[in-house]
Amino acid sequence: MKAGTRLKSIVCDTEVMVIRGADVVVECGGAPMAEARPAARAAINPGFAQGTLIGKRYVDAAGTIELLCVKPGQGSLAIGGVALQVKDAKPLPASD
Amino acid sequence: MTQVMKGVRILEVAQFTFVPAAGAILADWGADVIKIEHPVRGDAQRGFVNLGGMKLDPARNPLMEHPNRGKRSVGIDISTPLGCELLHEIARTADVFLTNYLPAQRQKLRCDLEHIRAANPRIIYARGSALGDKGPEREIGGFDGTAFWSRGAIGFCMSPPELPGPLTQGIPAFGDSIGGMSIAGGIAAALFHRQRTGEALELDVSLLSTAWWAAGTSLDYTMESGSMIRNRMPVSGASAGNPFSGNYRTSDGGTINLCMLTPGPYIRDTFQHLGIPQAADDPRFCEARSLMSHADAASELIARVFATKPFDYWRQHLRTLKGQWAPVQSLSDLATDEQALANDMLVEVEAVDGGRPVKLVRGPVQFNHEPVRTTRAPQASEHTETFLMELGLEWERIETLKAAGAIA
Repeated sequence: MKAGTRLKSIVCDTEVMVIRGADVVVECGGAPMAEARPAARAAINPGFAQGTLIGKRYVDAAGTIELLCVKPGQGSLAIGGVALQVKDAKPLPASD
Repeated sequence: MTQVMKGVRILEVAQFTFVPAAGAILADWGADVIKIEHPVRGDAQRGFVNLGGMKLDPARNPLMEHPNRGKRSVGIDISTPLGCELLHEIARTADVFLTNYLPAQRQKLRCDLEHIRAANPRIIYARGSALGDKGPEREIGGFDGTAFWSRGAIGFCMSPPELPGPLTQGIPAFGDSIGGMSIAGGIAAALFHRQRTGEALELDVSLLSTAWWAAGTSLDYTMESGSMIRNRMPVSGASAGNPFSGNYRTSDGGTINLCMLTPGPYIRDTFQHLGIPQAADDPRFCEARSLMSHADAASELIARVFATKPFDYWRQHLRTLKGQWAPVQSLSDLATDEQALANDMLVEVEAVDGGRPVKLVRGPVQFNHEPVRTTRAPQASEHTETFLMELGLEWERIETLKAAGAIA
């Protein structure tokens, strides 16, 4: 899995770009993602259906993987059944 | 809309609304706006949990969308040597450097005029500040609530003296949005000047100068006469001396604003619309001078008439009124105002979750009657790698920068 590779969900519209790669299989909606989307969609696993947000970065706990979501969908991302986390900006709390 | 700024690159090192809003206007106009954000914290505005006391959904945050739509976000820690070098590299490809960092920070981060111009002598350097880039308080920061509304006397002017104190700004980023448009106008003029003469300018807009301009007629008057024009307490009735100018309350508590500053030509038509045509033949009200000298009597009469029917009645009925008037609308009314919508004031952008589109307000300028097409505000650092590759960086260098913590 090289940096720059685009992976597509086989259960929803999600597409990600690999920013930092490692030799692992990324799942979306409970099913392995692929470089090409199959003609028929597979069923989404309800345990991995929290959705993806465009423009967000998704990382694993070890920091070995970073994926940039380029198209949102209903599935959520995981590796080996462990959900990936959003790498969010951490601004100071403020109010207007 | 015609992309009048197509091919112009704006390098924005700015946070909050005032200065980023200038970038947003230029993006609406077709500029390629690269917003530099801190790789970990992002724009400080991303941390806002409340807006005017209301809770914010971070995925549909107007405080981020309004001043940042149409931009690309590139996460660079410009306080690191590699990040700073990268910023200068991007500056070489940009037409405008846009910032609201304070003078000491600009110097420390080496994004002051000297360093940016050293990287690119042709770059226009645009600064937004609280109080201006000259004078003893140039190092002081601020928000529109301080520099525009409070120090800028807008709050003073808006608040009737009978109130126990001045009103607060009431509209988040009110001064920022006006000021941002001013910066965008200044940048457009500076680009025009550069095109004609080859000279690259520095430009400054402050929230204080925005208040001076916005309150210009009042301030000019005060400097001339020593007196101060302030708001009056709301009443149902005329402003001093002209019964065809003032706010009138309807039977259900709505308000109709009349604003016929030159009432003479509208006397008969107005009284007809109000359902009291005979008043136009009353010698006290039949021509401008007498109408104005009997303003109190006319005002009372008109207030009584408005109070007999509800807001919606007047709103429909006055559509054919020849003189100037307006229904006093709420924000919800405004968002569905058909005249505003007919002029493409509402822009929709895709939502980050792929859900219903986010509705945004466009900038006030329209070219060729065409609607604005834009994209949502970027997520923090969303375009770091794609932009850097477009700039010509090899992936290897991107990895090095990442490992060094210089980019997101």
